[in-house]
Amino acid sequence: MASGDGRRSQLLRGVLDLCLLAVMDEGPAYGYEMTKRLRARGMSIVGEGSIYPLLGRLERDGLVETRRQASNGGPPRKYYSLSAAGEQALEAGIEEWRAVRDAIDGALDLVKLEVAP
Amino acid sequence: MSEFVEECRREWRRLGVPDPIANEMAADLTADIEEAEAEGGSAEDVLGTSLFDPRRFAAAWAGARGVIAPPPTDEPTPPVVLERAPWYRPVTVVALTLVGFLMALAAAALVVGRHSSAVAATVTRAVHGSGPIRVFGPGSVVPPFPTVIHGQVFGVQNAGPAILLALALLLVGVALVGLALLYWAPWSHRRAGRRLG
Repeated sequence: MASGDGRRSQLLRGVLDLCLLAVMDEGPAYGYEMTKRLRARGMSIVGEGSIYPLLGRLERDGLVETRRQASNGGPPRKYYSLSAAGEQALEAGIEEWRAVRDAIDGALDLVKLEVAP
Repeated sequence: MSEFVEECRREWRRLGVPDPIANEMAADLTADIEEAEAEGGSAEDVLGTSLFDPRRFAAAWAGARGVIAPPPTDEPTPPVVLERAPWYRPVTVVALTLVGFLMALAAAALVVGRHSSAVAATVTRAVHGSGPIRVFGPGSVVPPFPTVIHGQVFGVQNAGPAILLALALLLVGVALVGLALLYWAPWSHRRAGRRLG
């Protein structure tokens, strides 16, 4: 059976691309900006792998569009935004996630945990 | 530029990532790390655990972008499933073998039949003259004077097309049997299994 950290990593790995699409739904963002948005939503990638390979895959799959744009006072950054296909993938992914989450909740809610005082 | 980015660049160079793409990725990475550090964070905030394995990170990123072949993942390799031979496979093998043998038999029959008729022609028609071999094909008119053909064997004059036909039949027949063997050979199955894996 996977340890707590191992399971968390596996779960996160399965949905991190969906989370990236979700934070891009707020508006175009560059790599580190997306990391900060994830952190603001309670998800830290510290202890996990980087988001860059995932962004590369999303770009290759046509789910995101990119453009290089000057950032505030810094060097030009590569901004990622949702493509039309990305929006559809996000909607489908959210539905899929909710169905899986409800099914797992249904199984786990039957367990009565005895919490030590 | 940080040591991490330098290490990535070396890996991209080693993997043959085109310079413009490598430069772009390095610039994005540098800018993000510098921003995190300027905000009081660290490179780990940007890279997570990838910070400790720059070569793997670099290969994964380039692979995900499709500029090199994707690196192998940690996920277990799916088990090799051998393809079950389709129903037509044994039928094809039997049919090929049968047709091949029939063609070889036909070729043999043609040669034997041709040979015996040539012998008969020789026996019944080689009546004139003396000396070396005298041979007349079936249906030919016996000349009024002895015809001498040095060094030729029975029925050669009319046997050309039949022998060629027999040879062609034999070759095709052998080729068909060989094809059937190749089609059924065990290593052919193993190769199919490896393709599935």
